[in-house]
Amino acid sequence: MNRLDPVTFSVIWGGLISAAAEMGVTLARTAYSVAVREGSDFSTGVFDPQGNMITQGDYSPGHLGSMAFAVRRMLEDYPVAALAPGDAVICNDPGIGSGHLPDVYMMCPVYLEGRLLGFAVNIAHQIDIGGSGAGSQTITGIQDNFQEGLRFLPTRCFVRGEPVADIFRIIEANVRVPEVLGDIRAQYTANMTGARRMEELARTYGPSVLHQAMDRIIAESGAQMRAAIDALKPGTYSFADRMDDVGPDTEPVEARVKVTIGKGRVHVDWAGSGKQREAGMNSFLHYTAAYSIAAIKSVTLPAAPQNDGIIRTIEVTAPPGSFFNPNRPAPCGGRAVVSHRIYEVVMGALAKAVPDRAIAATAHFYNPNIGGVDPRTGRAFICWESIIGGVGARWTKDGVEATSSPWNGTNVPVEIQESRNPVLIERVELIEDSAGPGRYRGGCGLRKDLRLLADNCTFYNLGDRQIFPPYGLAGGRPGGLGLTLLNPGTPRQRRLHSKGTYRLGRNDLISWRTSGAGGVGNPFMRDPNAVLIDVRNGYVSIKAATTEYGVVIDGKTLALNLTRTRALRARAKAGGKKTKERVPA
Amino acid sequence: MGYRVGIDVGGTFTDFALYDDVAGRLSIGKVLTTPQDPSIAVLQGLDELTQKIGIAAGDLTDAIHATTIATNTVITRSGPKTALLTTEGFRDVLIIARQKRWELYDNSIDKPVPVVPRQYIWEVPERMLHDGTIRRKLNETAVRSAARAMIKAGIKAVAICFLHSYANPAHERRAAEIVRKTSPELLVTISSEVSPIYREYERASTTTLNAYLMPAVSAYVGRIEAGLASRDFKRKLFIMQSNGGVAIPEIVARFPIRIIESGPAAGVLTAARYAESAGTSNIMSFDMGGTTAKLCLIENGRPALTGSFEVDMVRLKKNSGLPINIPAIDLVEIGAGGGSIARVDLGAIAVGPDSAGSDPGPICYGRGGTEPTVTDADLLLGYLNADYFLGGRMRLDAAAARRGIERQVAEPLKMDTIAAAWGMHEVVTAQMAQAARVVSVGKGKDPRHFAFIPFGGAGPVHGARLARMLGCPRIVFPHGAGVESAIGLLMAEPAFDLARTRITALGRDTLVEINEAFKDLEAQGRAQLSACGIGADGRIRRSADMRFAGQGYEINVSLPDGPYRAGDVDRLSRAFFDAYAATYGDRAFDRKDAVEIVHFRITASSPVPAFKLEGAAADGSDGAHALKGSRRVYFPETNGFTDCPVYDRYRLRAGDSFPGPAVVEERESTVVILPDSRARVDRDGNIVVDLAG
Repeated sequence: MNRLDPVTFSVIWGGLISAAAEMGVTLARTAYSVAVREGSDFSTGVFDPQGNMITQGDYSPGHLGSMAFAVRRMLEDYPVAALAPGDAVICNDPGIGSGHLPDVYMMCPVYLEGRLLGFAVNIAHQIDIGGSGAGSQTITGIQDNFQEGLRFLPTRCFVRGEPVADIFRIIEANVRVPEVLGDIRAQYTANMTGARRMEELARTYGPSVLHQAMDRIIAESGAQMRAAIDALKPGTYSFADRMDDVGPDTEPVEARVKVTIGKGRVHVDWAGSGKQREAGMNSFLHYTAAYSIAAIKSVTLPAAPQNDGIIRTIEVTAPPGSFFNPNRPAPCGGRAVVSHRIYEVVMGALAKAVPDRAIAATAHFYNPNIGGVDPRTGRAFICWESIIGGVGARWTKDGVEATSSPWNGTNVPVEIQESRNPVLIERVELIEDSAGPGRYRGGCGLRKDLRLLADNCTFYNLGDRQIFPPYGLAGGRPGGLGLTLLNPGTPRQRRLHSKGTYRLGRNDLISWRTSGAGGVGNPFMRDPNAVLIDVRNGYVSIKAATTEYGVVIDGKTLALNLTRTRALRARAKAGGKKTKERVPA
Repeated sequence: MGYRVGIDVGGTFTDFALYDDVAGRLSIGKVLTTPQDPSIAVLQGLDELTQKIGIAAGDLTDAIHATTIATNTVITRSGPKTALLTTEGFRDVLIIARQKRWELYDNSIDKPVPVVPRQYIWEVPERMLHDGTIRRKLNETAVRSAARAMIKAGIKAVAICFLHSYANPAHERRAAEIVRKTSPELLVTISSEVSPIYREYERASTTTLNAYLMPAVSAYVGRIEAGLASRDFKRKLFIMQSNGGVAIPEIVARFPIRIIESGPAAGVLTAARYAESAGTSNIMSFDMGGTTAKLCLIENGRPALTGSFEVDMVRLKKNSGLPINIPAIDLVEIGAGGGSIARVDLGAIAVGPDSAGSDPGPICYGRGGTEPTVTDADLLLGYLNADYFLGGRMRLDAAAARRGIERQVAEPLKMDTIAAAWGMHEVVTAQMAQAARVVSVGKGKDPRHFAFIPFGGAGPVHGARLARMLGCPRIVFPHGAGVESAIGLLMAEPAFDLARTRITALGRDTLVEINEAFKDLEAQGRAQLSACGIGADGRIRRSADMRFAGQGYEINVSLPDGPYRAGDVDRLSRAFFDAYAATYGDRAFDRKDAVEIVHFRITASSPVPAFKLEGAAADGSDGAHALKGSRRVYFPETNGFTDCPVYDRYRLRAGDSFPGPAVVEERESTVVILPDSRARVDRDGNIVVDLAG
């Protein structure tokens, strides 16, 4: 068979999607670090011989959105002619890749009988890549990228199936924990899995049919995406928000965007945003683009498989030297903390064009690291954590609890974290009254308390929204602010900065409380029964039910007092309070 | 010796297979399921069948039952108020879950809704550590007041799930004791008994589901037992579990979570029996009933088990359902069956997952159904015989089916009615092909290396078309396909898969712990077998989930019987290396790296009895003696309707061989043989079709 019929096309598309998914499963299942195996902080993709992304595994948008650019750029340094079966090229240059050193790309060419079929590619967040702080995501005290760890321009680390021992020795000598070597091996194993699936398809249908199918995936997706963009109201929409700061005693970062919806194209321009900063959190352009693309995809073709055809319809620009397109060697280790803001600012602009598909701002997350020596084993440990608050309210329903909107990591189970690292997790719970009130409320903030069971640890906090809360839409209120506390409820209680670095000791307790997500619509229009359920479930206090929602609930019986609720809401309306809004459907 | 009966409740029909092992005779029956209380149809159908063959229920030696009660209770959230008692500080484990989005970019998605709402979650002070040491003693007063508060809130069942209880169950056990004493009316279940596997969310999800199911399942099983007892049935009732083994009602009442996949498991087991007819032990089983279709791969004669699966998933998306850490046959189930409803969606035909079920059922049943279903389309296309549905017990109304499809599918799409019916048939078949790819291509298995076994009422109608789409080289249409799962139950035997997390380095120093862990599990397994009446001939197989020290996931490795001595350590690591290399390739690891066991597992089972229908001598011919006539049947290969011979399955003889297109009618189903293929009847009465390559 050498012609592409519709059935073959769908089988190949499905086969390439499952190849990418299976690479992800293999990576998680053979990895060592908690970040990769439990946190799913990695991504996978299948590429055509020209370096166009054809399918992806549904993992991190930050990785996935940058992958399409990174692979083409890696192929400039390592062209096809220089590659052979079994080779693997790694790269973690922040500008070429996904914006910080821990994210290591690995690209493997795939052949059938000497003919190049394409590339199996994945990117994994290495739990450490050397540099000034454990976990290599330090923000404070970092002036340039050279402080942040080991950097690889595109470099071969496997040649014809054999590891390049010298490269592995260099890595071994520069990272704090040996898991990194195991995870790089897992990345190779994952790509080999993808390669086998691509070879099988090529063997069944022939390489040229496989390539025709790849071309058609891009063409069909591109056409579909252009049509979806054309269905939006054309125009230029702007929005602004900001990051709290770039470390203790620093100024906020302006995040301003203009989204222009044109004929079959979207242009996202970050001009007017803040300047590049001397702190490890600048967002290189690939990273800025990645989360901008994710926001646009959410409101156009949310369920369609992502590929180069879709990405090509979106152009993302930012002035060189700005926070969202810094010049080398800008430091960037903690740039993950910017991901939510990139997505939300673009989403805020899109809310003006397609309100019913937009969502209010998501609660923020913390992605801290703690480094030290495990007294039980005498070996270095890095405790990687993710504390994820809820999703912003949707146009016709509440947000989702304890799930990120832009990000797609998983948490580390308490039972795993405690068996791996000298820590005790004492509390993980949703925070009452943290959700942004609205006719539809946002998701709650999340609290996690972690006690250290080792001396001389260093804690690198990584969070935001401790100063500026997540916005609401259409009269919905912002979510509650985040907070990091040390030893709460004791004489030694103190507030910690969202991006600070601290030396801590045994029995110190860190308590993260993420912000809550924003609401949508006037909270005084929320169904009183929905408020009652929230009160019974402990999401909203009886007091907040009255003050924020105008709903009166009996403290003893936990029953709704509809008469007093109506009266209270009528008074509020007469007083002109909170009545001006666009009403969600 | 005597009569064994298998009873399989499906979404639309309840099937019966009764085997007289003295005469070697099989009788089958089928009645419509009674969704409000499925036990009604079970008992009614049993009465019909026993009367038909002239025996009393008291003559039955065994009754083996597969049921959808557990799945349905979860999917419709019809269980009673259920509580969770957990470690202080961790009441939100179920709501937080693993935080993964099941659609990456779609902001309209929601998380799976736990069966216990937040207001019914109680915390108590206590704390274990990962190595089983107690960090904080259990506060017994707090347990008591929680148990009292639960009664006040109207709770019927409670799950107790404490952190790290897999490592030390003492607190869970004590808390259960206190709850039972304080509030004896509560049904109690503890995570260290249901699923002592680490990762707190998955364990809590499994345990709360178990609690949620306890009231409904024990009441249901009780009704069946009482009904049987009132008919003088004095022997044991067995219930099929998700792992393909059966258990007695007492065990099922304690662990109802084990029967979530009861019905589908029965079907898969049956398909595994056709290796001989298929000429291969690599089989794809395809069970299509009125409401859903289930697909499963069987390699080397054994269906694969999965250690965890999800219930109530959305669009088959991983992480969209509630996770269950209980071994189950690894299969996929989609909402595509004879009763699946067709509609027009964005200018295209969409079928399912909504089903007309048995009540009202398809339009052609004439029981008040108004929405066109797959069965209506199959009737219009000539695949089904309006006068011989259920052997003529139910007349189908073809004119009404035609009107329904015309108005609701053909007219909106401005197409011919027959083209619309074909579209429905093709769309539902293509959906099943996608599900088939999830279990085959999606796992790196090539469907072209598997024989295809279709059964269930609608399976043989769609089987050949689906096998052709997938490229399976051979199809075996089993004898009695319409009640195949019920037949499968006849040869089911007790089997229990038990597991426990205990992270243990593999080495000479740890052999004592390794031997002890297996010994514990084996004692539990033997006890559950002996409760089912199985003594010394029971069999225990060992395996372990192993990994390189520091990895997060394991692979399951079969291990030899123990106890192990120092000399066995190399054998155990070799078994792991071989399994690892087979899964990930032999370059993926270093044999010097340390290995650890994470989960110890055993399967306790009894030897499978010899059950075989007598084969016949192959004296067949061209099958002309079984010809009932012919009718017009639609095939795209013949450019539309063609005169198609119709055979009577009960008159076909072993060795008969005839070409497609053809239709073979039996009471519970209809086999459709496609053009360009040839059917032959084997010694066991199965129809074998080799598809042209």
